[in-house]
Amino acid sequence: MKRTMRALVGLAVLIGLITATGSLRTGAQSTWPDATAYANADQDASNWVLPARDYSGNRYISETDITPANVGTLKKAWSAPVDARGPLETSPIVWNGTMYVTSSHNDVYALDAATGALKWHFPYKPHVIAFSANRGVALLNGKVYEATLDGHLIALDATTGKVAWNIVAAHDVTNTFYTMQPVPYKNMLLLGASNGDWGGIGYISAFNAATGKRLWDFYTIPGPGQPGHNTWTGDSWKRGGGAIWSGIAIDPATSTLYVDAGNPQPDFLGTIRKGSNLYSNSMIALDISGATPKMKWYHQFIPHDTHDWDPAMPPVLFSGMVNGASRNLVAAGDKGGNFWVLDAKTGTLVYHLAVSTQKGQNTEPNRAGNIACPNTNGGVEFNGGSYMSDTNAFYVPSVDQCGVWKSQGTATYVSGQFYLGGAFPSLSGPSTGYMNAVDIGTGKFMWRKHLAFPQIGGALSMSSGVVFTGGVNGDFTAYDAKTGNVLWHFPTGMTIQAPPDTYVVGGKRYVAIAAGPAGVNFADPRFNKGAPTLEGSYKHPTAATITAFALP
Amino acid sequence: MRTIVLALVVALAVGGSPPARAASDDHAGALAALADIHAAVGEIVRIEDGYAVGHGAYLRAAHRAMNALVGRRDDGYARSFGDPGDGVGALGHLDQILDKVGTSPWTPAVQGAKINVLAAAADLQDAFGEKEMEDYQTDLTRALANIALVVGRPSQDGVLGGLSGALATTALAAPAGARIVAACATAPSAPSYGVAAGRLAYVALPRSAAASAIPSGLNITRIAVRGDAVVLYTLAPRDTAALCGHGTRMQRTRATAVPNVQRTRSTASPASAVPYTAAQAHAGAPIYRQYCLQCHGADLQGSAGPAVAGKEFLTTAAGNKWTLSDMRTTVFENMPFNNPGSLSPGQYANVMAFLLASNCLPPSSTPFPTSSSPSLAKIKFAGLHATKPTNANLATCAVK
Repeated sequence: MKRTMRALVGLAVLIGLITATGSLRTGAQSTWPDATAYANADQDASNWVLPARDYSGNRYISETDITPANVGTLKKAWSAPVDARGPLETSPIVWNGTMYVTSSHNDVYALDAATGALKWHFPYKPHVIAFSANRGVALLNGKVYEATLDGHLIALDATTGKVAWNIVAAHDVTNTFYTMQPVPYKNMLLLGASNGDWGGIGYISAFNAATGKRLWDFYTIPGPGQPGHNTWTGDSWKRGGGAIWSGIAIDPATSTLYVDAGNPQPDFLGTIRKGSNLYSNSMIALDISGATPKMKWYHQFIPHDTHDWDPAMPPVLFSGMVNGASRNLVAAGDKGGNFWVLDAKTGTLVYHLAVSTQKGQNTEPNRAGNIACPNTNGGVEFNGGSYMSDTNAFYVPSVDQCGVWKSQGTATYVSGQFYLGGAFPSLSGPSTGYMNAVDIGTGKFMWRKHLAFPQIGGALSMSSGVVFTGGVNGDFTAYDAKTGNVLWHFPTGMTIQAPPDTYVVGGKRYVAIAAGPAGVNFADPRFNKGAPTLEGSYKHPTAATITAFALP
Repeated sequence: MRTIVLALVVALAVGGSPPARAASDDHAGALAALADIHAAVGEIVRIEDGYAVGHGAYLRAAHRAMNALVGRRDDGYARSFGDPGDGVGALGHLDQILDKVGTSPWTPAVQGAKINVLAAAADLQDAFGEKEMEDYQTDLTRALANIALVVGRPSQDGVLGGLSGALATTALAAPAGARIVAACATAPSAPSYGVAAGRLAYVALPRSAAASAIPSGLNITRIAVRGDAVVLYTLAPRDTAALCGHGTRMQRTRATAVPNVQRTRSTASPASAVPYTAAQAHAGAPIYRQYCLQCHGADLQGSAGPAVAGKEFLTTAAGNKWTLSDMRTTVFENMPFNNPGSLSPGQYANVMAFLLASNCLPPSSTPFPTSSSPSLAKIKFAGLHATKPTNANLATCAVK
């Protein structure tokens, strides 16, 4: 008995050490990731435990076997099919040789990360109120968590895929759903509500990860008596938007949560909500050390937006060299085609740069319709970028589209319907994209590539000098971080709207990407004509897969 | 636009009159102008859809589009770039129409089209001076927007209708040599173009020919069979009556709830009737397949978008207490999601009819309206009486 106890203690110490250093490449971990594993995720070369690998939100890895010299030999290691009823936007979570991914309709899959073999599958049939999309799961203490299209938060047993609990987490499921990947932090799950464009107001919630009990909500639109409320006229704040669609970043050292609130509503009719409409289109820094969050600062990117140009890119925290001095920075990108760099401590603007064509931005949509760029699916989209300290550059894909925007004289809220005060714009002119490398030292482009199709797949950078991203035409591409030259590419034959991940199993490094149908936003009319990719031609895909690549 | 031109040519052939090509024929002139516009759009779309990144390729496309727009008699014409049009240019054709003595019902539309051609030409002129790819694209995009106004749409008259509107709503629809009859005085007989105060009231086709070719460039509000003629009405009876009764002044009326007097099979009582016809639902099926299926699925149960028929949809509609007006707003104004407002009102009405039929609601004699109608706001979707589903599992009905 005593000896067993001692052995257990010894094992616990060993596990503690592994988790603390977190740098084993063999996948020998036998526990589940916990708060310590998350805090040290940036040191863990094997696993990918948070949506963007670690709390900084930066998809960057400093240790890698894949280099500009050998990336050209990268080969498909495996490919696993998943439910194809919508676009894949999942960011795989990889722990101890198992990969957890979601489909657009909230099916959850546990895959062998070395072979793609299915370990378990959790099918789900959400009542879809808007469009289908899901950005992935959280993994904490033996449970896999998913937030769904019908406003539920579901905990699954990570070993079996069986439901542990299932709660209705959204306050109003007629206009609120979830697309965001829940983020574990200190035994909490942080989760933003997707309800912009459907007449809700945005909030981010914290849940007890063990029980699902709600701990707090932070609303992005200030009510009567709160600071910022006077930036709304009349009762317009009540359906003011500010949804939280995408990822978050956390600085654990200061307990600061960085979160972006979406565009104001009604999207295209500004006359009934005069003012700057705080805290829509803003990055908000919250102190989450206490029982309820406290705002440290906010930075509004586009006040009184009338074009649905919300800051879709998840925030990225990094230390970069600006004018020769190291600074703690946070990057943002919006659908208005802006890339922003702020001081991470104060939220003051360092600089911003246009990464897409901008036009007609100061003219509100009118009833006859007018052209403005980017289009509603333009600019910097929801999977964002990556900072590489080795080049002091930020890599961010962007979409180049223009649209014809129309507003209506009024906006009427109908439960379960768009609350736009107009119509989503129709695409006008070309639909292309850029892969941009921004020199953080100067705020200018280091290089940029103009590409034939929109780029929304998110970027992954490796210190060896390779940057991965995928386009909506299905090309998964590796760029030379210094020059922008294409080093390698692979035509998936599907649409890439998800960010790439990387992990190690059995001593081998993999790069993984999800690809699937075009979905509601990026159904490019050129696809049906068999539009060209770098290799061959491309048509509307009806399949969805997770694909992993490795060196031979 | 190509569809419009082709459809009209088909209509002419069916009408038994050879398409006139004489320079003095305004109908042929308008079609020729559209062909030149089409050539210009082709140049712009080709370069914007393609993968050229060079300055020269964009400059060449802008010049060729300019040549097609203005024609060789204009100062803006640059011979060295070649001409994708017929050399007269859209501007040349429009000027020939406008140079006639007197005012025609289509004069305002043609004048508006000319001004928009000039605006597009100015955008192309801007493009000639650009150095950056993005600036080219901006100018060409602007030119396309102005050209879109020249083309216009068949459902609108006057300046906003553009050339398509003039060809669909006025006597300009009739080619030289075609039989034009007074819509006020005579009953429709085929082949003929019925005209009231310069406005096109109907096109009558021989029944045998109509079975294989119904023109789509016209703004057809009703179709009726009268003896050996299939009559495609392009004006509501009230509008025709107003034109006939009050000379040239026409009152604008909404096309809603036009009773279909030709049909007598209606059995539904007005109180419970769902406003759509079986013909609309039938016509809506291919439109759904082309524009909606990719996101809403072949079985209408949703894929990237939500379900639009059956139990799943009823849950949404009932939970939100949606009326037909709420549904209409989403379909007409926000769909297709990636290109809202891109279908014609007639196509949207047909899609609505297809959805109502797929939800097992019985058709009536009242068509689904092409413009908003207050009566729709009184009809709650969940309260409607559905027939037995053909797919019991999904609670949907196949549309024939």
